[in-house]
Amino acid sequence: MFLSLIRVIKFSLQDIYRNIWLSIVTITILILALFSVNMLLTVEVISRAAIDSVKEKIDINLYLKSDSKKEEILAVQSKVSNLEEVKAVRYISKEEAMEKFNEKHKGDPEILEALKELNDNPLTPTLVIQAKDIDQYGALISKINEIDSPAIESRNFNDHKMILKKIDAITKKVSEAGAIISLIFVLITALLVYNSIRVAIYIHRREIGIMRLVGASSSFIKMPYLFSSVIYTFVGLLVVIVIFFPFLGLLQPYLEAFFIDYNIDIISYFSDNFLRIFGLQFLALAAVNAVASLIAVSKYSKV
Amino acid sequence: MIKLLNVSKIYQPDIKALNQVTLHIKPGEFVSIVGQSGTGKTTVIKSLIGEERVDAGKVIIGGWDITRLRSADVPFLRRQIGVIFQDFKLLPKKTLEENVAFALQVCGQAPKKIKTIVPHVMKIVGLEDKMRRYPNEVSGGEQQRAVIARALVHRPKILLADEPTGNLDSINTKEIIDLLLKINKFGTTVVLVTHNREVVNRLKRRVVTLDCGCVVSDQECGKYIL
Repeated sequence: MFLSLIRVIKFSLQDIYRNIWLSIVTITILILALFSVNMLLTVEVISRAAIDSVKEKIDINLYLKSDSKKEEILAVQSKVSNLEEVKAVRYISKEEAMEKFNEKHKGDPEILEALKELNDNPLTPTLVIQAKDIDQYGALISKINEIDSPAIESRNFNDHKMILKKIDAITKKVSEAGAIISLIFVLITALLVYNSIRVAIYIHRREIGIMRLVGASSSFIKMPYLFSSVIYTFVGLLVVIVIFFPFLGLLQPYLEAFFIDYNIDIISYFSDNFLRIFGLQFLALAAVNAVASLIAVSKYSKV
Repeated sequence: MIKLLNVSKIYQPDIKALNQVTLHIKPGEFVSIVGQSGTGKTTVIKSLIGEERVDAGKVIIGGWDITRLRSADVPFLRRQIGVIFQDFKLLPKKTLEENVAFALQVCGQAPKKIKTIVPHVMKIVGLEDKMRRYPNEVSGGEQQRAVIARALVHRPKILLADEPTGNLDSINTKEIIDLLLKINKFGTTVVLVTHNREVVNRLKRRVVTLDCGCVVSDQECGKYIL
């Protein structure tokens, strides 16, 4: 048994080496397939991050009365902060609101002129509330509605609800489309790899026939091909890992520039989930290769 | 040693490759099976190595009825019969030595034993100097010698040779036939399938002639009669 195993490994390595071009072609197809799968995963991670960042940008603004006393404002701020769904609360004074307004509309002289004519700061102080979890917006809004204080001027959050509903709908559609595309892609990849392995074994059909002729058992014929397919998968995955991380390193600065104020680290995502992502890919691809090898060898090794 | 009893084989739709063939080959015999192309010579060989299953009759080798042999038992049958083909059937990515050793490796022989047997059989066939060459680096005659060496590693009691000289020139043909005679001298039963008239006539051994899947002649010291 041990002797047979040693021979299977030896024949397999010998076969890979002596058919080096065929081996390179097979491994290249595996690399392309694996790289595409990982690219798809990257796109999925980025799109999820994009949606989350948009959701995070949706703050709840609680408008306060201009003449509110400082204690009243602090009391409201404290009540809001103590809510379990709240991540952060920031107080924006009338003056700060005006500064931001001017900054935002500095290229629009008409609006600034109209503001000047009012001779007074019409903006109100605001509490900008950020939720811990985007899915808890509904609960948070109803709790904020329950807070009773003379300092609160308005609490109209209907627009947020609509936006959140739309984003949730978009998220669901993106996830569904992503799942369908991924499934199609995985199927195409599996077929590609399956075909590639079958072609490799088709080229070996004469050899398989000769092995049969000299009395090789079915398992003795199949095992080296199975072992080769595992080696092809392993080498392919190794190459993809070596290529993919520097590629992510190149991508990261662009992502950081695009998602300002939102912490997206694609390298950490792949590093933290290394075993789950690449282990699963190895198992799935090795299984596809093994099945393809078994089917092809069985076909050509009939008595 | 070999018994074919009323063996028939029909290839679809209705080509009768063998028709009620009965043949007894005794241990140590050298038998030539002759006939024109398509008369069933190769089908006889294929049925003896379990590559084809006959439709009727019985095929018995050394008392073992292989007529309805299970697929899993075919490798064991082939390890006991040496086979030589016209197109050599050597593994192109293995050296001649590795090709010969492979026949032993597949049945789990120990490396030490393989190292003893392989050079010995290579010497018998006169290839001791070319053991590390690949099949495409030697002549057709030398390839056929390597195939004979491979067939001999299991010390088979039967050696089946299907047109072994079909791809060889007259000098190589003579050398291969002499080698087969030498092997037969050691006690191995040799079944030679050929349509080479000169070879058959020179041998002066038993000749079985097939025509349209039937045995039309069986002579103890025969000649090529077709």
